[in-house]
Formats: sequence, structure tokens, C-alpha cells
Amino acid sequence: MQTPAHAGRLITPAMVGVALVLLTVPLWIAKVGLYQYIGVEILIWAIYALGFNLLLGTAGLPSFGHGAFFGIGAYAFGLTQFHVAANLWVCLLGGILAASLAGALVAGFVARRRGIYFAFLTIAFGQVFWFIAMKARNVTGGEDGLLPIARLPADFGIVSFDLTGNTALYFFVLALFLATVVALWRLTYSPFGRVLSAIRQSELRAAHLGYQVVLFKMLAFIVSAAFAGLAGSLFAMAQGGAFPEVMALHYSGYIVMMVLVGGGLVSFWGPVIGVVVFLLARDLLGAVTLTWMLWFGLLFVAVILFKPEGIAGVFQDLRRRFSRQPAAPAQPAARSTS
Amino acid sequence: MFNLIPFLINGLTLGLLFALIALGFMLIVGVMEQINLAHGSLFALGAYVAYALLGPPLPLPAGVGEWWAELPLGLRYVLALVVAPCIVGLLGILIEQGMRRTYGKDPLFGLLLTFGAAMVIEDVIRSIWGTRDYILPTPDAISGGFIALNLIWSTYRFFAAFAAFVFILLTWLLIERTRFGAVIKAGAHDSEMVRALGYDLAKLRIAVFAIGTMLAAAAGVIMAPIWGIRPHMGVDAVIPAFLIIVLGGVGSFWGAVIAGLMVGMVIGLTAAYASEWSLLSMYILLIVVVTFRARGLFGKKSILEA
Amino acid sequence: MTDRITRRGLVKGGTMLAGAAAGFGTFYGPWKHNRAYAQEGKPIKIGLTCDASGMYGASGRDELRGITMCIDEFNANGGVLGRKIEWITADTETNPATASRVAERFITREDCSILIGAIHSGVANAITQVAEKYGTIYLNSNSSAPTEAGENCSRIKFVWDGNGTNFTMSSVKAAVERVGKKWLLLTNDYVWGHETSDATRKLVEEAGGEIIDELLIPQNTRDFTSYLLKIQQISPEVVAPAVGGDDGKILRAQVAELGLDKQAAWVQSQQDWPDVWSAPDSIVGIFGTNWYHKLKLPGVDDFVKRWQARADADAIPVPGNVSYCGYTAMRETLRAIERAGSTNNIAIIKELEQLKIPAADRMQDYDAWMNPDTHHLQQTIYLARRNPNPVDDTDLYEIISASKPEDVIDPEEGKLCKLAPYEQIPTVDG
Repeated sequence: MQTPAHAGRLITPAMVGVALVLLTVPLWIAKVGLYQYIGVEILIWAIYALGFNLLLGTAGLPSFGHGAFFGIGAYAFGLTQFHVAANLWVCLLGGILAASLAGALVAGFVARRRGIYFAFLTIAFGQVFWFIAMKARNVTGGEDGLLPIARLPADFGIVSFDLTGNTALYFFVLALFLATVVALWRLTYSPFGRVLSAIRQSELRAAHLGYQVVLFKMLAFIVSAAFAGLAGSLFAMAQGGAFPEVMALHYSGYIVMMVLVGGGLVSFWGPVIGVVVFLLARDLLGAVTLTWMLWFGLLFVAVILFKPEGIAGVFQDLRRRFSRQPAAPAQPAARSTS
Repeated sequence: MFNLIPFLINGLTLGLLFALIALGFMLIVGVMEQINLAHGSLFALGAYVAYALLGPPLPLPAGVGEWWAELPLGLRYVLALVVAPCIVGLLGILIEQGMRRTYGKDPLFGLLLTFGAAMVIEDVIRSIWGTRDYILPTPDAISGGFIALNLIWSTYRFFAAFAAFVFILLTWLLIERTRFGAVIKAGAHDSEMVRALGYDLAKLRIAVFAIGTMLAAAAGVIMAPIWGIRPHMGVDAVIPAFLIIVLGGVGSFWGAVIAGLMVGMVIGLTAAYASEWSLLSMYILLIVVVTFRARGLFGKKSILEA
Repeated sequence: MTDRITRRGLVKGGTMLAGAAAGFGTFYGPWKHNRAYAQEGKPIKIGLTCDASGMYGASGRDELRGITMCIDEFNANGGVLGRKIEWITADTETNPATASRVAERFITREDCSILIGAIHSGVANAITQVAEKYGTIYLNSNSSAPTEAGENCSRIKFVWDGNGTNFTMSSVKAAVERVGKKWLLLTNDYVWGHETSDATRKLVEEAGGEIIDELLIPQNTRDFTSYLLKIQQISPEVVAPAVGGDDGKILRAQVAELGLDKQAAWVQSQQDWPDVWSAPDSIVGIFGTNWYHKLKLPGVDDFVKRWQARADADAIPVPGNVSYCGYTAMRETLRAIERAGSTNNIAIIKELEQLKIPAADRMQDYDAWMNPDTHHLQQTIYLARRNPNPVDDTDLYEIISASKPEDVIDPEEGKLCKLAPYEQIPTVDG
């Protein structure tokens, strides 16, 4: 990805703009024919997608088994709530930690690999975790799900917010989403992120430059698993339960699709755009036709064929066309072959 | 110990079936170095097309559908085994044309394109045939059971395993013993040289992709009577296919065959002795093998790793 | 069998007229004449959370047809409380995450005051979590997991299908006595499979039988040859599979192909009509159902005719247990609203908790009633097997017995169920 203008800053104008828009959502969401829950769902998946894109877009590592970490976060949140402490912060921490540990375990096996071997091992581990979730039914509840997971209040000591309503939960998730955005922006354009970009372009070259490639890949994997775990924990709260289906293969495939269509390969905000488009299309088209997935699949294929840079890539092209600066060199949409 | 023999035989037949399922996938991956995630959907499509040919009469004009349905089942079955792959092969060519645009770029795009194609195909199947299950009629000669070793065995499974063996043999002959195969392999190694020698690589690529998808469809027709026909049956094929390729090593024909046999054996034997782990066992097998042999059993260095 | 016919014949003859009259009368509602929709009444909205894709897509579509048939019939007679009934549906994809979103959408955006539809227990639970938050009544029409009346019960949820244990109870004791004492369990390795097999094990042992082995089958197993070879080696007298979904369909096909159901008796839990219809040659052993379209009971023929009159090209030509459960769940709830005289959710819940449905009205052999402590409808359970003398293409079952609901009550039912008190349920007035 070409370095965007405000890469050095902690908080960019785009972030502020997005935050302001999102803050007003509860005021107009019903008027546009939507409902608050979908706002919550979109933000949760956006957290998941941004974390995932650290791995896919920045480091170029295609994980097809990330649903496992999302699911582990959800289960861990519930289990912490039932067996450790019914405290929001403790449970969120539990979800993040569990997903990070699982991420570390898997990273140990996959970090050395690349390309097809990397992809497939992540699928294999995703399947293993799904299998465990189904089999350990006394712990996870199996296909019935882990229930009932309560929306614990956000207790800051001096003041406590009840999150049982969708609007309150939305604001809480929004706060975490904005924190995620700031953290990942910083991470992506930090020296760590630069190394990941270098690894995406050519692992060999990065290694020859002296970087511990395997270590960086592992860290990227663990961090993205941690964010998936956070998203999963929030989702468990939103749904009121944790179910094994999110760990299934095609769910892990959805996140790849969303990130790509949105333009995660060329833009930091791409994943968020992709999540919004996908979930809204699903909700709006799904109310009209039962074959909405067919149309989205065709859209996906069209994007790959004609504009792999995704929707964000289209925006970037438009911006370049209208900017007064001399034309910038074409964005490298793919890694250069070594 | 004697009790083990039926399970060994079963593991072997299961292994041949898995190798058949992986065959088309292996061809495209090994020779064209493209991961075809639509393999599962093409497998399913082959089964559905076969059902269209062998099931209730089609609503074709001039009573062609009724005439076709009157022909003996055995004849129609053999024809279906040939025709269904051909029809699906045409779709394969279409997908290849799409993949063409992604050749120069990140292999990730080829993979994602086929993933999208897989979803589209599955939804088209659902639109045409609905969500319900179908049964593929098979000729009496290869249906039912027979008795051996005091046990009842499925006739069709052995026929299917035999058919798998035949297809594997034919594919091997194609790759190793024909000029076509030699040129394709050379093209995978050094496409510029092959083009310099005057071969139309583009046409060859189309041919390989078509053959790969035809094999996927053929596997679908053969497995349909065993697994049943339903819209999401493709997933049951693409995951083992992918696993077998990685286990056996990308780019290795024998790797795929041997890995297929291994997977069949492992699943068959664990189902008999530690049944709850039978499906998980193939993943454990993969993880163990790849941890110690990074490229799988016989893998060669390939561009897909980059 | 012949026993049942002669006995029933006598009873039937006598009550036939009375039953028909009562059925006709109760069907067309407590009101005596067609009523135009009240001008000022806003429509009652019902959300149909049915699967249209995924593993239970075919059953979900069948269920939808049953439910909408009922709604259309009520609307043709003036709706409920003089108000028209509107319904919407969205594909829950046999997936709990999707189901949560659909439930939220239906309640918060579409203002549905009642939700209905489920086959997969995870989906049903996800919907229950959402409905409970808002106080919306949820009708679990077709999920037969025992946990629905156990730890996953809810004050706002009502369960209309027999569960795995009910079916097991109707079949096991008789099979131990009449068929054999050496049993083999095939258990799909997930919650429903284990609960069903555990119930079977208890009943077999109580009846004096013995479980000689239990084979666990992971979900998504496609190849059963190893298991079938093992079964042949072990040679039990009875095989009791608790294998559902796609795995079950493939297992039955492979068993039927080999004719293994002739070697040992296969005694199974409930089978859904859409699954049987798509594979009529794979009917193996004996199995359960809570309804059949050729039952010689009042109202059945008429129900089947009405179904056929509106069946589209994709529909199954006759209704089965899945569409029947959808239809009757909707019907009883709409009637409960009429009786309660209001769409206040607590009022409806209280009406449904006292629900008693006479056999003739129910199109089953025995009266049915709602268990107020678990919200699970207790109903007649039938055992069936492949029909050796079908009268037409749809006559796939031969019903071999009908059990009274009180004889097949799940002994575990209610032990783990804690219904929230009425005061804790948010009020909903559709």
C-alpha cells in the first residue's frame, strides 16, 4: 500500500470524520429502514476485519481459518462470565487472551510457511477448533450453543452503563471500534507494520535485510487473532450466546471476501467499507430475494476480475483523478514477484 | 487380526475414491500452479448434471426428454459419465478465461476468483434444483451388495474404486506418456521457453483447466450414489482435495495418489477403532506431516509458496 | 395392528360425527360469522424465522408452507380479533448468527409481535435469546432437541414438536420385548445424538436389554462403510442410530443399499417427511413421526386437500410432520389470541400454557396438551416403517403404533427448566 498522507499521526482527519458519522447513527438508522442491531453487528465485524487485514492486506498472509479465533473469543467470554467473574472487563480480557493464546499456538505451526501451505494449515486448524467446539459439548454446549450470555454493564467505578439495549451496546462497541482503529493505524504505519509490508512484497528480501521474518509473522498473526477474539467476545454479548458455526469454513471465507471487496489490499479503511457493503447487502437484498448470495458472489467475482483494489481502490482512483497533484504512480495492487 | 482385513480393504477403496476426488484439483494445481477452489462446486455440478440425465425426463422440446428417459439406464449411465464432465468442462473453460486476467498478479487473486466462482456455482445450483436432496439412480448391475468374507459389501463402491483407478491411470498416462503432458509440464517450469518453441501456451492452459474440471465432474458423478446429491456437497470434496494436495506435496502426481490412499486408510481405520476421531484424524495427519516435512510428502518448490 | 383397527373402528364410528363437527367448528374459530377486517385495527405481524438454505433448507421451506397456509386460512375468515395477519420471512440459513440478526430485524424494524419457525436447536436458541429480551413470543415449531424443554426453555418460547426422548420412549420398550435384547448404539457425536442415545440406553437397560456397543459418529461423516462392517462383525439384534441431518440421510441410503436392515432391526428416532420424500428407497427399520397424511382421522383428508390446492411446483405433494407442526403451532397460537381477546404477550402466554387440544381437532389419535412448566406440547407419537403396500406414490409409511402422550413423557423434562416469572417479561402488545 502506498503510504497515505497522515500515516504519521495518531488520529487522522478521516478517523474524526468517521467517528462523528458513526456517533450519529442511532439518530437516523431507523429512518433509513434499518435497525440498531445491524449497526452493532457491522462495528463488531469491522473490528474483526481490521484485525484480519493486518494479516492479509499488510502482511500478505491469507488466513482462511480466522473464524476459529472469533469463535474462541466468543466462547471464552461466555465461559469467563460463567466460571470466573461476571465482570465485563474481566470477560473481555478473557476473550482476547484465549484468542491470542490460540493464535500463538497456530502461529507456531504456520508462521514458517507461505502461500498455499500457510493457507491450508489455517484451514486445517480452523476445522480442528470447530471440531473441538462441537465435541466438547459439556463445556461449549455443542450445537445448542453456550447460553445465556448476558450483556454485562460497563462499570467504570464512578459510573456504570447498562448495555442491555442495542443502542447502549452500540456506543460501547463504537468506543472499542475507534480504539481499534487508532491502534491498528498506528501499528500498520509503524516500523513493525513496515516490516510486514516488506514481508508481503518479498519474504526473501526481508530476511536478507536481517529481519526475523518468522517472528514478525507470528506477531502479526497473534495480534490479528487478538482482535478477532475481541470481536468474538462482543458478538457473544450481542447475540446472547456463542455458537460453533462462526468457526466453519465458509464463515472464515466471508471475512476474506469482505476485506477484499472493500479494498483491504490497498487501503486501511477498505475492510470497514467491505463489512458495511456485505452486511447491508445481506440484510437489504436478503429481505427481497432468497438468492442474494448469488448476486454478491457475482459482484465479488467482478471485483476480482476488474478491480482487485476493491471499492477503496475505486475511491483512490477518483481522488487521484480530481486532485491537482501530478499523477501518482499506479498503485501496485499485487506484490511484485521476487 | 483377521478382523482387520475388511477395514484395510475398505481403507484402500476409500483411498482410491479420495485420490479420484483430488485428481482434478491436483492437475490444475500441479501443472498450472493455480488453486481451483471451485473444484468442489464443479464436483457438485457434475453430480447434478448426471442427475438431470438419469433422473426424471427433462422438459425438452419435441419429446427429446421423454425419448432419452426411455433408454436403458445402463446406457444412460455410461453416457452420463462422459457427457456430464464435458458439459462441466465447458464451464471450466469459462472460469479459466476469467483466471487469465489474474495470471500475472498475486496467486491470491486466482484463489479468490475461484472461491467466488464456487459460491456463484453453488447458488446457481440451488436456484435451478432447489435445496432438497436427490438420489442418483444407478444400473442394477453395479448396485446392491455382495457377500465376501462373511460380510456384505457394497458393489457400487468397488465399481467406483475401480473407476477411480482407471481415471488415475489415464491421467498419469496423459501427463507422463504423451507429448501434450510433456509440454504442459515444461510450460509450468519455464513458460517463456515453451512459447519460444512455438507452442500456444494459452490453448494448452485452457486444455489443462478443462481436463481438471472434467475430472472434478467425473468424481462428482461417481461419488453421487455414495454421498447423495445436495447443494453443499462440494465442500465435502474440496476440503479433502485440498488436504490431500498439501499432504502429498504440491506439484507431485504420486504425492496426491499416495496421500489420497493414506487419508482413506486413516479415516477407514480410525472409524473402526476410534470412531469419534475419524474425521479429525486426517487434519492431525496433515499437521503432523507438514510440521516435519514442510512441503508435504513429495512436494517440490513451487511458485505457490511465495 | 389389526387390534388397533378394530378397536379404533368402534370408537371412531361413534365419535366420527361429533369429532367432525367439533373439528369444523373449532377450526373456523369461536366466532360464528365471517367478519370484515376492523377498519381501525392494525394488522398483526408475524415473523417466520424459517431456514431456506443450509442443511435444513428443504424442511424449512416445507415448514413455511404449513405456517402460511394457516395464516391465509385465518385471513380468509376475517383474521384474528378482526385484524388482518401479515407475515414476513427471511432465510435463517440454518445458522445461529444469521438467526439472531433476522430476529432482531423482525422485532425492531418490522414490529413483529410473534416469531415462529425453527428446526436446528442452535438457531432456535439464538432466536430465543433475542425474543426474550423484548418479550416477543417465539414458537419453536420443529426443533426436536430435548434441551428445548430442558435447560433452554423460556417463558416466551413454546415447543410444538415431540423431542428425541419422546420418540425413543415410544419405540424402545416394545422393541426390547419383541425384537431382541442385544442393542448397538450409533451416536452422532453432538448434543442431540448423545441425549437421544443416553435416553435409549436407560430405557433398554430398564427393559432388561443390553447395550453391547456404542459407536460414535462425528458430524459430517460421509462414509459409513467402516461402521457398517463393524456392525456386521458385532452382530447385534437391534441397531439404534441417533444420527441426524445429512449424516443420517447418507447412513440410511448406505444401509438400505446393502440390505442391512434385514439383518438386524433398526430402531430410530423421528424422521422428517421432507427427508424421507427425497429418498423413499432409503426408508430403513422403524422410526417415529408425530403425524402422517394418511391417518384415518377426522380433518386429515380435508387438510391434505387444502394443502394440495395451494401447493406450488416445488412443494411436496402432501403435507408431512414438518408442515403439520408449523400449521398447528400457528393455528393454536392464533386461536389463543382469539380466546385471550388481546395481543398482550402475557395474556397469550397464559392461554397457551393451559392449552388442551382434543384429538379430533388435532388430527392425531389422542388429546394433546401443553406442559405449563416446560412449554412443551405433549402429543401422540407414532411409530412407522416402510409401507409394503402403498396405495399411491405418497403412501410411504405404514403406521404400526400410536402412543399416548402420557406414556412417552420425557422423564428428564422440566428438571433443568426454569421459566422466568411473568413480571420479568417485557410487555408486548401487537
